[in-house]
Amino acid sequence: MIDHYDWRGGREAMLRFGPDAGPLAIIAMPLFDDANRLRAFAVSLCRALAARGVASALPDLPGQGESLLPTEDARLDDWRAAFSAAAAQVGRNVHGVALRSGAVVDVEAALVSRWRLAPIAGAAVLAELRRATTTGARARGETVAVKIDADDDAPMLLAGNRIALPLFGALADDDAVAVTVGVPLRTLRMASDPLPADRKVEGAPLWRRAEPGNDLALAALLADDIAEWITRCGG
Amino acid sequence: MTGRTVLPHDTSTVEATVRGVLRDVLGLSDARAAELRGDTPLFGAMPELDSMAVAGVLTEMEERLGILIDDDEVDGEMLETFGALVRFATDKVPQ
Repeated sequence: MIDHYDWRGGREAMLRFGPDAGPLAIIAMPLFDDANRLRAFAVSLCRALAARGVASALPDLPGQGESLLPTEDARLDDWRAAFSAAAAQVGRNVHGVALRSGAVVDVEAALVSRWRLAPIAGAAVLAELRRATTTGARARGETVAVKIDADDDAPMLLAGNRIALPLFGALADDDAVAVTVGVPLRTLRMASDPLPADRKVEGAPLWRRAEPGNDLALAALLADDIAEWITRCGG
Repeated sequence: MTGRTVLPHDTSTVEATVRGVLRDVLGLSDARAAELRGDTPLFGAMPELDSMAVAGVLTEMEERLGILIDDDEVDGEMLETFGALVRFATDKVPQ
């Protein structure tokens, strides 16, 4: 179902899945191009959760997804405020599910528990965008600039995303993913990822593909894990 | 918590890792991934490995091999063949 939520900056779209009552998760999508790559997968995950009796909400951030706010007007504190507002509006005991850099965005929301898939910090998000901007060009023997003009206040242009300097700076400095969250936290990573996790799962990292893809088997496996985790955290 | 996975450092496991990276990032079938040989042409010849895919390949290689790849090191030569990419990775992995 296509729903919406209100925050101090306006109104944004939000998808809702699953039953009207029972355990409820709010999904934090990753930022920028990873959102495109994981969109179909995230929806498959929500449907799989619904099949397991877990309702979910998938909010758009202001300046991401279908939002009408231009990307260059997006700010990290606005994203966090918007996501927190969405979480407050969808229910009372809401569990967090963050995909990749979604873990940077949901940190201020009042959540009963947090579940993360391959979390990544703001600086790493920028590094991947910068690499996407320059690498292909280098491989072709070209050079490319990451700023769109000589004006020092102009937004950066990274992999086609206009990122305002305040957002760039906030992401570069952000440490939220690494800090203690104060509620139960569970982290999963792909088996090929050497970083620590509570569980490693087999499969390809869909966020590394050039084209958006999906993995229904992985969505089912993760939905099982999330459903069991939410039950352990009080439902 | 499951700790850090031991990272590969000998040529055959580096090669297997690079093969796995290409399979996962480019979405190749197991069969196509298995067919990659030292002289198999990559960038410019393999349609899946376009400019956008290169970034994903490099970042995934960094992660799985525990190496850092600088922008300056990226050129057409190291991406020309599977063998060239494996040699590049092997040279960067601490022995």
